[in-house]
Amino acid sequence: MEDDARMARNRAPESVHPARGEPPALELRDVHASYGHIHALKGVSLHVSHGEMVALIGANGAGKSTVLRTISGLLRPRGGQVLLGGSRIDHLPPHRVVALGVGQAPEGRRVFPRMTVAENLDLGSFARADRAAVEADIDRVFRLFPRLKERLRQKAGTLSGGEQQMLAIGRALMASPNVLLLDEPSMGLAPMLVESIFRTIVEINRQGTSVLLVEQNALMALGVANRGYVLESGTIVLADTADGLRNNPRVQKAYLGIA
Amino acid sequence: MMQLIQNLVLGLLLGGVYALVAAGLTLIFGVMRVINIAHGAFLILAAFITYSLWSALGIDPLLAILVTTPVIFAIGWVTYKTVIAPIRTAPMASTVLLTFGLALVIEGVMGTIWGNSSTAIRPGYANESFTFAGLFMPKAQVYGGLVAVLVLLILGLILSKTWLGRAIRAAATNPASAELVGIKVAAVAALVFAIGIAAAGAGGAIVGVLYPFVAGAHYQWIARLLAIVVLGGMGSLNGAILGAVIFGVAETLTAAYVSPSWATAVPYAIVFAVLVVRPQGLMGSRLREDAVAT
Ligand SMILES: Nc1ncnc2c1ncn2[C@@H]1O[C@H](COP(=O)(O)OP(=O)(O)OP(=O)(O)O)[C@@H](O)[C@H]1O
Ligand SMILES: [Mg+2]
Repeated sequence: MEDDARMARNRAPESVHPARGEPPALELRDVHASYGHIHALKGVSLHVSHGEMVALIGANGAGKSTVLRTISGLLRPRGGQVLLGGSRIDHLPPHRVVALGVGQAPEGRRVFPRMTVAENLDLGSFARADRAAVEADIDRVFRLFPRLKERLRQKAGTLSGGEQQMLAIGRALMASPNVLLLDEPSMGLAPMLVESIFRTIVEINRQGTSVLLVEQNALMALGVANRGYVLESGTIVLADTADGLRNNPRVQKAYLGIA
Repeated sequence: MMQLIQNLVLGLLLGGVYALVAAGLTLIFGVMRVINIAHGAFLILAAFITYSLWSALGIDPLLAILVTTPVIFAIGWVTYKTVIAPIRTAPMASTVLLTFGLALVIEGVMGTIWGNSSTAIRPGYANESFTFAGLFMPKAQVYGGLVAVLVLLILGLILSKTWLGRAIRAAATNPASAELVGIKVAAVAALVFAIGIAAAGAGGAIVGVLYPFVAGAHYQWIARLLAIVVLGGMGSLNGAILGAVIFGVAETLTAAYVSPSWATAVPYAIVFAVLVVRPQGLMGSRLREDAVAT
């Protein structure tokens, strides 16, 4: 497919292989999580190296968002470990995890609808003390998403779906994260817009932010990621390079619509 | 005509007092989904503290707000930490039960300290009135209403202009998203509870000057405050203010033109009529943003 090839050219650079022994930017070791009696994650292990973009794909209800919730601290894992740069963060509350450098654009782009674009972005830097650097980051967000700059005074709830997604990502970037967690940034967007958002995600990754990209749109996600994991019913069933997954018959059949 | 204007102004001033107290109640609900049945009890508690400051030390009751509000704020914060925090995520029905119990405890404490007879705060201006252009305005109501509006404005400025206000609004719209940007929602909740109680406290000091009160008066207050908040839309600050003004004006006009004995009943008829048409209240939204997700 032509689109496909274009995205492949846009792909993030191969990750720099870390010196032996250097811990990955983010790592999950045998993580279990549940909602009441629902055992949503059954021993998930994955990692994102520094500067890497990793895709996590899977069907509805596989547990993708749950993985992100256990990383960000919204959900406390019942077992296993979450490590950020080698240090455990699995017992920290979300505001501490943000302060340590994990930014998340949540599923369904949960911006604060009754606040302006400017207020939303400002809230993104809530946990930070380095005000001068915040100014630089807001410029970075405006360069990545010029649309947001034009709509600073507009209420976030009145933005289009694509613009709200830009705002959700921009807000996460305002925390100056080392690791960016994106939950289905393509959801509900027109194909043109999806491409443009993905180009920006690649750009963010090129600038040095490690990215864990959760997607149902496996084609797009594997088009930009270095590596990927396939999650089924709370278990990682496949882990490979993005190309490896794209050429895997099982992935082609289940997630790429290729018979 | 002059009579009508006078009653309207008095109704608006009363509405200002109601608005201040109801703002605290709706704010607490908006951020933590806790219906604080003890809100009226905190109001009466503040009235008693004001009474003591006035009778023992001779401090003007409205100036005493500068003392009572911080005291009530501290009481609210401690109450949150000890009583509310452990049940914050409990179902709403159990928070109603718990805060009702809290109201009874406060009532008992007040009865023990100040007794159960009717108490009145009567500063020098209590029996004086402003008269101009044929209007006749009791000074206590004018001062009380203006002080209430002033405190409410300060509260509004905190909410709209400060980082704390922004954090509060974020936590009220979507607690999970607020956490994800680094807001410590639990700490915000403690502050909101204390601020909400402090607003009731400031209102209580004013109410103590306007009417005699007893420890058990909190039942009437919580009924009225809940009606105001439901009328405006649970959790909506502007709704609470609008509801409070409607209540204040309706009560005053009913007392003047129908009968004082109907003054408390008529506003509830208005609430009922509004809810039939708009179940979510005048300015309430049907759902919280995150209620549809997760
Ligand atoms: N708050 C919750 N309470 C109970 N069960 C939940 C909750 N959130 C998720 N689940 C369950 O956990 C499992 C994993 O859900 P999760 O949201 O992580 O899936 P997902 O892979 O992100 O799906 P989608 O692609 O639809 O977003 C599902 O079975 C879901 O029903
Ligand atoms: Mg999901």
